Amino acid sequence: MRSFLFNMGYFIKESGRIIRLNLLSNIFSVIGTGLILLLLGIIVTGTSVGNRLVVMLNEEAEVNAYFSKELTSEEVEQLIEKITNLDGVRALRIVDEDEAKASMQEILGEEAKILELFDDNPFEAFIEIRIDIEVMNSVIEELRGVDGIEYVRDNQEILEKIKDITYALEILGYLMIAAVGITTVIILSHMIRQGIYNNKEQINTLKLLGSPGIFIGFPYILTGVFLTLLGGIIAVIAMVLLINGAYNSLGATIPFIPLPPKDELITNMVLWLPVLSLILGFFGSLFGLSSIGEKS
Amino acid sequence: MIIANNLSLVYPDKTQALIDVDLNIKAGELVYITGPSGSGKTSLLKLFMGIEYPSTGSLSVMGKPIKNNSKGNIRKIRRNIGPVFQEFKLIKGRTSLENVMIGMRFLGLTPKCIKKEANEALEKVGLGHKKLSKVEHLSWGETQRVAIARAVARKPSLILADEPTGNLDYDNAINILGLLKSFRNENTTVIITTHATHLIMEEQNATFISVDGGRIRIERKG
Repeated sequence: MRSFLFNMGYFIKESGRIIRLNLLSNIFSVIGTGLILLLLGIIVTGTSVGNRLVVMLNEEAEVNAYFSKELTSEEVEQLIEKITNLDGVRALRIVDEDEAKASMQEILGEEAKILELFDDNPFEAFIEIRIDIEVMNSVIEELRGVDGIEYVRDNQEILEKIKDITYALEILGYLMIAAVGITTVIILSHMIRQGIYNNKEQINTLKLLGSPGIFIGFPYILTGVFLTLLGGIIAVIAMVLLINGAYNSLGATIPFIPLPPKDELITNMVLWLPVLSLILGFFGSLFGLSSIGEKS
Repeated sequence: MIIANNLSLVYPDKTQALIDVDLNIKAGELVYITGPSGSGKTSLLKLFMGIEYPSTGSLSVMGKPIKNNSKGNIRKIRRNIGPVFQEFKLIKGRTSLENVMIGMRFLGLTPKCIKKEANEALEKVGLGHKKLSKVEHLSWGETQRVAIARAVARKPSLILADEPTGNLDYDNAINILGLLKSFRNENTTVIITTHATHLIMEEQNATFISVDGGRIRIERKG
């Protein structure tokens, strides 16, 4: 450990030498890593926006429970209390006949004239219940078993689709992140292997002199981490420009997409992209270093 | 320092390099290993450094077994050895001083101490004035001296020099042998391989190991 600390200056110098030895190739590697991390940033941002959309859709997941007309207002109160206590029920409210009619008029638009043909309001009061999409089936089952509930309109098919989309988006996000992460590690390990190959005589001499593996390998780890960090910084700069541009142009044109706050996205990028690049750089270098082996 | 019993070395291509070698080299000895090219001199040094493992028999260097020992332990043994390779194995693009220092960096010394010892070693081999020259700009003899400086700066218990007189004229060869011998002391064993037996005929205080066809013969003088 003491020897390791004493040599920190040497390691940094060696790392600089390794970079200079194959400067052009290393510049391309930095650009390549930067572009991959940029791609990762875009995917994560997209996933973040997607997740927000999914959360919003989840929160909107609701079923309507129609209750018996014979129930007194006191019994309706009791019914509401009973439903409120069910697992998976987020919120509920009573929609009376007038509100039900008004909302249908809104949906029908100009066609709402048809409702004027009825002498009386044809709509019934119901309980609008927001539910947790994850436990949708059990909530609906329980609702159907509650005394006083005559019918549950559940939109189960749509809710199932929302659930599937949520799941697919999540899986896609993870897959993309894994793919980009693995690509970065492979590129970097290849770059490190190239550096090792260029310095194989020196490495062999150090082994013959009795150098420990960490002494030989650490400059390569430093090189990998430094180059990936540079790539990460390039990616951060590009991401900040991209997010700013996207918010300026998209924010106004598609307001229905629930974009997360711009500052929150930028802060996340500035924080995690360099950290991630450090981690990928470290593991990529370690992976590349495995080619040094112990063979003398 | 080095003990070998019934030591044999067969390379993967079935070449029998050494046969039934028994050796006991003590600390502080000066040892010359002689023999024609291909006789097994370098193979013997490779075994001492743990570059090759014995095919049969046993070998211990500085009390540590070479056979069945971990790579990490072999490297630890090497840290106590100052090797002067036949082809020098200096790192191109670096100065003489950097080459000497690189062999000392993992010995637990402070950077200041490393620099001081490396400078002293270069002075000892007469190359203090070329410490900042890149090794590829030095002559053959100078390069060899840098390799010797790298070996001795580590203050090893064992100096192994493989054919240090090859490619040198008589005067330079004698100088190099004299220089290597000067590092022998009660704690430091010096082992030199050479096929130029005429250079060491006058030696009165040394062990001579002649290798021929993989078999050795030992003669001690003094």
